Amino acid sequence: MSKRNTSDLTRLLIYGALIFICVYNLAPFLWMIFSSLKTEAEVKSYPATFLPHVVTLEPYANILVWGGFITYFMNSAIISFSTAFISSFVGALAGYGFSRYTFKGRTSLMTVFLASQLLPGVLLVGPYFRMLTLIKLYDTRIGLIVAQTTITLPFSVWMLKSFIDTVPVEIDQAAMVDGASRWQAFFKVVLPLIAPGIVATTIFAFLLAWGDLLWALCLLSSPSLKTVTLGITELVGQFRIRWAELMGASIIASLPCVILYLFLQSALTRGFTAGAVKQ
Amino acid sequence: MRLRTKEYEAYLFILPALSMLIVILGFPFVMAILMSLNLAWVKSSLLGFTFENYSRLFRDRVFYNDLIVTFSFVVSTVGFHLLLGLGVALLLNMEIKAKRFFRVAAILPWTIPDVIAGLIWRFMFDPLSGIINSVLARLNLIQLPITWLSDARLALPSVVFAEVWRGYPFVMLLLLAGLQSIPQGLYEAAEIDGASAWKRFWYISLPNLSRIIMIAFTLDFIWECRRFGLVYNMTGGNPGHATEVLSLYVYKNYFVFFNFGYAAAIAVVLALIMMLISFPYLKASMKEL
Repeated sequence: MSKRNTSDLTRLLIYGALIFICVYNLAPFLWMIFSSLKTEAEVKSYPATFLPHVVTLEPYANILVWGGFITYFMNSAIISFSTAFISSFVGALAGYGFSRYTFKGRTSLMTVFLASQLLPGVLLVGPYFRMLTLIKLYDTRIGLIVAQTTITLPFSVWMLKSFIDTVPVEIDQAAMVDGASRWQAFFKVVLPLIAPGIVATTIFAFLLAWGDLLWALCLLSSPSLKTVTLGITELVGQFRIRWAELMGASIIASLPCVILYLFLQSALTRGFTAGAVKQ
Repeated sequence: MRLRTKEYEAYLFILPALSMLIVILGFPFVMAILMSLNLAWVKSSLLGFTFENYSRLFRDRVFYNDLIVTFSFVVSTVGFHLLLGLGVALLLNMEIKAKRFFRVAAILPWTIPDVIAGLIWRFMFDPLSGIINSVLARLNLIQLPITWLSDARLALPSVVFAEVWRGYPFVMLLLLAGLQSIPQGLYEAAEIDGASAWKRFWYISLPNLSRIIMIAFTLDFIWECRRFGLVYNMTGGNPGHATEVLSLYVYKNYFVFFNFGYAAAIAVVLALIMMLISFPYLKASMKEL
């Protein structure tokens, strides 16, 4: 919608609306940041202040002293990285299979992949918990990683297939005429060409795993294995909520997500809407 | 688009993903159904099963209540996500200054885990230390602090408010991508013909967006039906069961009451409802696969 003669009044209305949206979107973030810099007395005062009267870094010091946090953060990193890596790799394989071959049951298999998205986590987590207890993998990182990988897998397949679809099939053929095997054509020719798609998918799977609470809550019990979202959630359950520390911890826990999403946004929309906005 | 080669190769590429799906999603899914039919516990005969858990659903007031809570939660969050998402997408699609800044600001709420969004809003709605009551009190709009999250009538709207804030940017992103893919020529032609801004929106933008609106609706619907972390951290389903969505009730039945069969039955019903409503859309929006 370009090149339209907009009057000053409409211009004013547009910017007014934009500023309103900004305030609505950003105020909770500012509140979180300012609260994490307040003294305990100020956080508890009524009516609450928006800007801290006295800025203190004590809440952050307390978070670091509180031994679990760094462990939790590292656990989240390990679990989310592994999930993202496996999910994208297995997803790229399947995406290639769906993109490049016609075979019996192709459509029904793709439907199965899509439909698996409709199974709510709470339906699966109970039986999965029993399976893990049976094979002695309850309360291990592996059990959680395998679950997270599979949950993110259908999305990875879907996104990577749409990225692979954008690579002309002649490129595979040319590589194979030159003597490359099918596997080499996939691994050495197609994969590098869809690098942006792989990055987007990996980050997306990483973030899904990072933000999870349900599975970690149900599949882990040792403090040394807990993830950062689970650790923060358990802090809330305690008798007295220390909001300044909690907000500080929340900021640190959200930071990887905010940074990665901002990198990812255009590729992500492309993945989700591939096919839908085709001209 | 496809190569004509050995068919079995395709299965080799798909096998790892498929086997994970079968073992990690398919197997627990079947197990959940068997558990809900009490089959797992019947040892005397292999075919012994009961519908006890399902008939219990019909008598369970909490289940009815949670069903309504889930319905209200999903309908209002998805509805507001679409409305707000469309509005902001239209704004960001205009010729404006500082586009980059506004875009980043518009996406930010969606970037944080829902668990943490739940916490932030729980703090904001806190009767004494929260900012919302503080602003209302400073404006002299209230005399006494409002107990947003422990009042049975206010708790669900508050939770919805938080989830609207967190979730709409994603819908907005999809719709913005859709708007940007509409050929500019259509608008120019309409303008020459003297179509008003409203008419251009109604007859050009909206029809061209219909497909992407359907995708946004489907994805959002599925995600909101499964929403867990935000509600868990914001209210835990309290007060009473005023904000208890079904996923929370399933979780409690599994891991708090250890009522596995019953939990599975509720989850199966939830999954069935989700499938019935969203599957046609899901299939239609993926036609080109």
